Amino acid sequence: MALKTSSPRKGGTNRGNGPEGIDSIPLRYGDDPYVWACWLYYEDGMTQGEIAEAMGVSRATVNSYLADAREKGIVNISIEPARLASLTIAQELKRHFGLADCLVVPNDDDTRPLIGRLGAAGAQALTKMIKSGDTLAVAWGRTILSVGEHLEMGPLQDVTVVQATGGTTASFAYTPELTTAAVARAISARCVNITAPAIVASAQMHDMLLDEPLIREQFDTLARANRIVFGISSLRPNSTIHTSGFFESVPLQHYLAKGAAGVLAGRFIDERGRPVAGPLDDRTIGISLEMLRGIGTRVAVAGGFDKVPALLAALRGGYANVLVTDAATGAGILRADGVTSLDGKLSQRQKSTPVANAYRTHVKKFLNNPNDVVDEMLDGLIAAHRPYLLPVVGSRRALVARNGPRPGKVGLVIGGGTGHEPCFVGYVGKGLADAVALGNIFSSPPPDPIAKCAVAASGGVGVLFVYGNYAGDVMNFEMAAELVEEQGIAIRTVLTTDDIVSSPVEDKEGRRGVAGNFFVFKVAGAACDRGMTLDECEAVTRKANDRTYTVGVALESCSMPQTRRHNFEIGPDDMELGMGIHGEPGVSRERIRTADEIVDTIMDNIFKEMKAGAGDKVAVLVNSFGGTPLMELYILFRRVEQRLAAKNIVIEANWVGHYCTSLDMVGASISILHLDRQLADLLHHPCQTAILTINAPETDGAARG
Amino acid sequence: MSETAARALARMFERMSEAIETEKDHLSELDGAIGDGDHGITMSIGFKAVNAALAALDLDAASPSEVMSTAASGFLDAVGASTGPLYATGFRRAAQALAGRDRLDLAACRDMITAISEGIRDRGKAQRGDKTMFDVWLPAAEAATTALADGKSERDFWTAVTTAASNGAAATATMVATKGRAARLRERSLGQLDPGAVSANALIRAISNTL
Repeated sequence: MALKTSSPRKGGTNRGNGPEGIDSIPLRYGDDPYVWACWLYYEDGMTQGEIAEAMGVSRATVNSYLADAREKGIVNISIEPARLASLTIAQELKRHFGLADCLVVPNDDDTRPLIGRLGAAGAQALTKMIKSGDTLAVAWGRTILSVGEHLEMGPLQDVTVVQATGGTTASFAYTPELTTAAVARAISARCVNITAPAIVASAQMHDMLLDEPLIREQFDTLARANRIVFGISSLRPNSTIHTSGFFESVPLQHYLAKGAAGVLAGRFIDERGRPVAGPLDDRTIGISLEMLRGIGTRVAVAGGFDKVPALLAALRGGYANVLVTDAATGAGILRADGVTSLDGKLSQRQKSTPVANAYRTHVKKFLNNPNDVVDEMLDGLIAAHRPYLLPVVGSRRALVARNGPRPGKVGLVIGGGTGHEPCFVGYVGKGLADAVALGNIFSSPPPDPIAKCAVAASGGVGVLFVYGNYAGDVMNFEMAAELVEEQGIAIRTVLTTDDIVSSPVEDKEGRRGVAGNFFVFKVAGAACDRGMTLDECEAVTRKANDRTYTVGVALESCSMPQTRRHNFEIGPDDMELGMGIHGEPGVSRERIRTADEIVDTIMDNIFKEMKAGAGDKVAVLVNSFGGTPLMELYILFRRVEQRLAAKNIVIEANWVGHYCTSLDMVGASISILHLDRQLADLLHHPCQTAILTINAPETDGAARG
Repeated sequence: MSETAARALARMFERMSEAIETEKDHLSELDGAIGDGDHGITMSIGFKAVNAALAALDLDAASPSEVMSTAASGFLDAVGASTGPLYATGFRRAAQALAGRDRLDLAACRDMITAISEGIRDRGKAQRGDKTMFDVWLPAAEAATTALADGKSERDFWTAVTTAASNGAAATATMVATKGRAARLRERSLGQLDPGAVSANALIRAISNTL
């Protein structure tokens, strides 16, 4: 008798074995018993027994259909990537450190604070581990308190929760007492506190207290603990350990000096997990590291990059055998311990041959002696741009505009490393920068040429320094400012910070300056040339910087003349988003996409921050990093224009070309300056430099070019 | 020992320069991973300039302090970058610490290393654990202080200093950079040694080999 598809549950004959026993597969399954079995199992949610009945085969056959279907690729089980990543990381952590178990929370949910997510995960881990009759020791801390707050458990019998250290004053919410109580309450356990201070005044006091019968009894309970949950504290300056009041700051410095990398349950360990001896050791009342390591289940709950060294130390020392952390921290720990296999697993890509093979050993360049490139370039450049600039006496690295500085005008000094040509030197001339100080490739100039520039640019009413926000430039320009201020020249500084992906908006001051320099220099130069005061020049330059937004994308990294090798490799199908102008790696590596999609990503980033409405005016700069030709820049500009037009934002002025490069790097950046009336006015102010010339507007009122 | 302290310091800078030349490519490679790939070149230029500046100094007449301040200006005028101000400030502080001294005993060495460490800290506003050269200079200075206080022999003093320095350099792999260009990489800097820390370790080894 044939089975009817309309009544699959009927029958249950045992006349057939295996596929040949099925004489009527419903048409929609295309004569394929595997597909039919899979459909019933995965889509209709039937059990294997029900499927066997429906298909008229044995349960074992159904089972093998389902297994084969996965092997044949008929069924693909996909796990949401963020979850898969955290699973992979958990597995690697477990393997690498020989852990009993590991739970890694995905980083896909940035809306909730990390402490809360770790607390929930820690609670989940505990729920699986605590059994009736257990004694659970609990160490203090913010994360562990969060575990207690998230913990919910069905009724268990005879569970004891014991505080792992003495107590502290209640100046913070996560004292040992409160943390322990929260955990005990959540699982309705008996709560045993250690009724002595965590740190006492002397070793004698420590010994006396431990002799007290009450405290000894509490310690006996602690010694019976078969599970412990603890946090791990870093010793970084911003760590809560410094503000918790748990330790006095002076002994803390002592432990730091002896190489302490982390603290667990009030005890210090070095980066290899070895105990660090110090003055608090015999004054601390609480579980010892040795006792801790003797406990069967040792659950550490901690996350955050600043905790990586501390976590690594705890894992290396074998203090934790169950780890609860977040995906980013977990990946960080593995990377910090030299595990490289992870990146390949996370990207889920086909293994490809190493990229390096695709490159020649050396990049071809026009060179004499690689060590002379900067000086030889400057010789050529000074000769080529003679109408605009000349060296300040005795230095090629300090160049001054021929018709720039004049009495009563604020001097504008710009500068930075070389390798960015035509930045910075192309912007020296009347109406723009008065002087430029140049360093080696991608290296800040030393204070001396900067100071020479300041003196040369000074017109007696102060000098404005404008340069990109890089640690080296800041230090050298600051030292130069100190030098010239001693000579009575007032110095103001505006750091350019236009690269919006280099730091989040909360850390706007930490961003680096990239191609948007072009707009900031132009505005500053115009302000100085107009005879505005030092205060006014500084303010309007700052405004220009605040309203300039740049995002860069690199396709290939650059090669230094000395090495003639790529600084690093970007994979054949990859691009680097947020690339800087020094060949330093960007912020994230992604698959390369179409030009329009790349521009869309960039513009979406910019629109997130730039509050420009319909009718607002902007200036646009599409800039090559050196290796990308104009053809591609225009393709990018095309899409930028479309995206701006769709918002009815007006492009008041635009530049497309090589304006701030990074040697031969392949890639481009898009900069948008959100104009207001004053900035638009200054942008159109005339200037004559090697790279940028803007003529005075026609007197007959014609539109500006 | 007939060699003057000034000559010993000049020889120390020669050794430092040699150490950097040996490590040059390695340093640039490390820097390529998290920075802009020029650390080896920058350090090489800087220490060559120091030696050129010291060559112009009359070492028989110069004081150790003068050697240090000459090295500071030589370094700074040649490189700029971020290492320029950092080491120049460090050497300048060392010049102050050595002022009035004509012997390089262990106390002087301790003061010199401490002064370099403090100069670097103040100029770079660095803290322990920021993944910088300071993570090598600070432990080295601390080890020197402790070793001297414990009355260690000259041999043990230098062993303590170099061990602290190399442990410090190795530990930078576990740190997330918060200063300099590597800071933009955030967690991607994990697992990478800091090139500035590695070169600092080479310099301290060179100091120990000379003094």
